[in-house]
Amino acid sequence: MEAPTTSTTEATTSEVLVRADEIEKTYGSNLPFTRSVPVLTGANLEIRAGEIVGIVGGNGSGKSTLMNILVGVLKQDSGAVERTGTVGWCPQEPLLYDRLTVTETFRLFGSGYGMTAEEIDEAKRRFASKLDFEQYLDYRIDQLSGGNRQKINLSIALMHDPDVLMLDEPYTGFDWETYLIFWDLADELAADGTAVVMISHLIEEQSRLDRIYEVRDGHVYDVTERESETEATTGERRRKADE
Amino acid sequence: MNRIQTGIRTNVSTFLRTPLNVVLALLLPVVVIEGWGQAMAGLPTLPTVEAIPIDLGRLLGAIFGVAIIAGLMGLAQMISARAADRRLVQTGYPPRTLLATRLATLGGVTVVVAAVNYGVLWLTISPEAPVLTFVFLVLAGLVYAFLGALVGALLPRLFEGSLVVVFLAMMDAFLSGDSPLAADIPEFVEYFPLYHPKELLQEAMFQGTYTTGDLGFVAGYLLVLLVLVTVVFGVTMRTSGGWSA
Repeated sequence: MEAPTTSTTEATTSEVLVRADEIEKTYGSNLPFTRSVPVLTGANLEIRAGEIVGIVGGNGSGKSTLMNILVGVLKQDSGAVERTGTVGWCPQEPLLYDRLTVTETFRLFGSGYGMTAEEIDEAKRRFASKLDFEQYLDYRIDQLSGGNRQKINLSIALMHDPDVLMLDEPYTGFDWETYLIFWDLADELAADGTAVVMISHLIEEQSRLDRIYEVRDGHVYDVTERESETEATTGERRRKADE
Repeated sequence: MNRIQTGIRTNVSTFLRTPLNVVLALLLPVVVIEGWGQAMAGLPTLPTVEAIPIDLGRLLGAIFGVAIIAGLMGLAQMISARAADRRLVQTGYPPRTLLATRLATLGGVTVVVAAVNYGVLWLTISPEAPVLTFVFLVLAGLVYAFLGALVGALLPRLFEGSLVVVFLAMMDAFLSGDSPLAADIPEFVEYFPLYHPKELLQEAMFQGTYTTGDLGFVAGYLLVLLVLVTVVFGVTMRTSGGWSA
């Protein structure tokens, strides 16, 4: 039988940026006649620098709950999360201010990250060019299509060059070209040492991932296959980055 | 980048880009002030109040108009973008700074709403102390703006929250307003949010004076509401653990 991951079993040289230890989370309330739903019952996980990590699992298995706990926007009932570096979080639903323009959105979230006006402008230009939304900078968020909104959602998570990037199905609404650009971007980030963690449903993506964690029955299982191929993928990515 | 400036600027933009807000702020005063005045026009002169009923009605309409708009704005400021607020806080934007920008915006909006109400009121009544009358209208608005923000922080649903604010403001303005229709008013009405602002406003409007005790009560009310909003907002925006660079 497959054993859940433990936080000490991996022996790679990359720095661990996020470590979750025996995380438990139950949704419920203190009101009578309401049901408690245990979601995580002892989840362990390690995220290392330069890895692209996939979190998979069935509907309602607790993937988003786990990610929200790792990011820090949801408190676990018990267990510990150690975090190092800075995080960029791209939630599944674009959590943005509908009435602000794209430029204003960058300014507001950039000020949250503590960036200067020049740094914010530079980041905005860089991602607008890369993800092709330059023509929408003066549009309000509520005037954008779902795909363009998702591009802004992703850019906001990335604009401060985080050490760990947490993505909850980040490519929803992307066209094929943007989807490929997204993966190039993820490869570049990983090659530069950023840990990229994403919740994914697509089987075909699994060859792009260095490590795959499956959330099942409240636990997290390392289901990474073809370890040697994964190492080859990482090596190839690093070679491309060096070139 | 200055977080407070950025926050206030984006809050004001958001407010102005919501057409319903602007329409409410500009049109509601006319409807409420004249409507309340005409509703009380047919009532007999009150034994304890020197003002004629139609003027008293207009004054109550003005205080109700300011309170309800400011209250609903306060509610909307807390509810409309709660999920985005949590994301913003996660980026490192301090919750207290975020709240400060919201309350500062609310304060500004309340002053504008009070000015519109004062303008409509001034067309029909000449206040004995114009500046005091305006200041006390602003105070009434601030009380409800903070109250709306508190309701929004506690009850993060726009429909239910709006019902609470609207019914509270209606009952408050009605019971606090010396209306002969509301006979045998219990003493606890003195603790209602609009009771002392109304006393201040009425005195400034018709006599040109004010009572320090009423002013102190309103100041205390505002302070308590501010503390409650800060605590509740802080709890709702709390994140679990930070990232150490």
